[in-house]
Amino acid sequence: MALVDDVKTLIEGALPGSAVEVIDEGGGDHLRVQVTAPQFEGLGLIEQHRLVKNAVRERSDTGELHSLTIKTSVPD
Amino acid sequence: MADPNLKDKVEELIRDNQVLLFMKGTPESPACGNSMRAVNVLESYGIEYAALDVLPAMQPLREVTGEIADWTTFPQLYVNGQLVGGADIVEELDESGELAEVLGTERSEPAPPSAKEQFKAENPQQSPPMQIER
Repeated sequence: MALVDDVKTLIEGALPGSAVEVIDEGGGDHLRVQVTAPQFEGLGLIEQHRLVKNAVRERSDTGELHSLTIKTSVPD
Repeated sequence: MADPNLKDKVEELIRDNQVLLFMKGTPESPACGNSMRAVNVLESYGIEYAALDVLPAMQPLREVTGEIADWTTFPQLYVNGQLVGGADIVEELDESGELAEVLGTERSEPAPPSAKEQFKAENPQQSPPMQIER
């Protein structure tokens, strides 16, 4: 599975009900994600980003995912 | 588990430096785009900050910051002993004005691309980058 799809699946799995858009910024291992998730409600940015980062941690730890730019939001 | 000696050193650095950036490379020569983004934001405030190059001991430092702050990617900005975030959060807080509050200062200027060079020219005595020995 391409890393883009893999990352999307991992985040959606960790944050049920989230809307996840993953964009390849270059080389397939520098990704940008926009995550809108009900779980972010009431959380600070650090906690929101932690949830996303932890969801893909196995891919970051292996170096497979080199860089992940994260933008989070709460659904309207 | 993280190396306890290294963890002690890192905790001391976080305690002793009001504004501390863990980064890949140095402010003069960032080794990663995200580290460069964090440096660019910090330099636009014209404040003094300490920078630690994580590259010589990246994996051990990952383990240490994972234990201290549950954060294992770099850059990481700490202000007054607290993790503020990585490059994305630093930029987002900069744009919202919250970073100015966290830093207790105003942005000097909406940074032109050359701000970093100007800053260096005006502050030649800027403290040298730190390295950590294992």
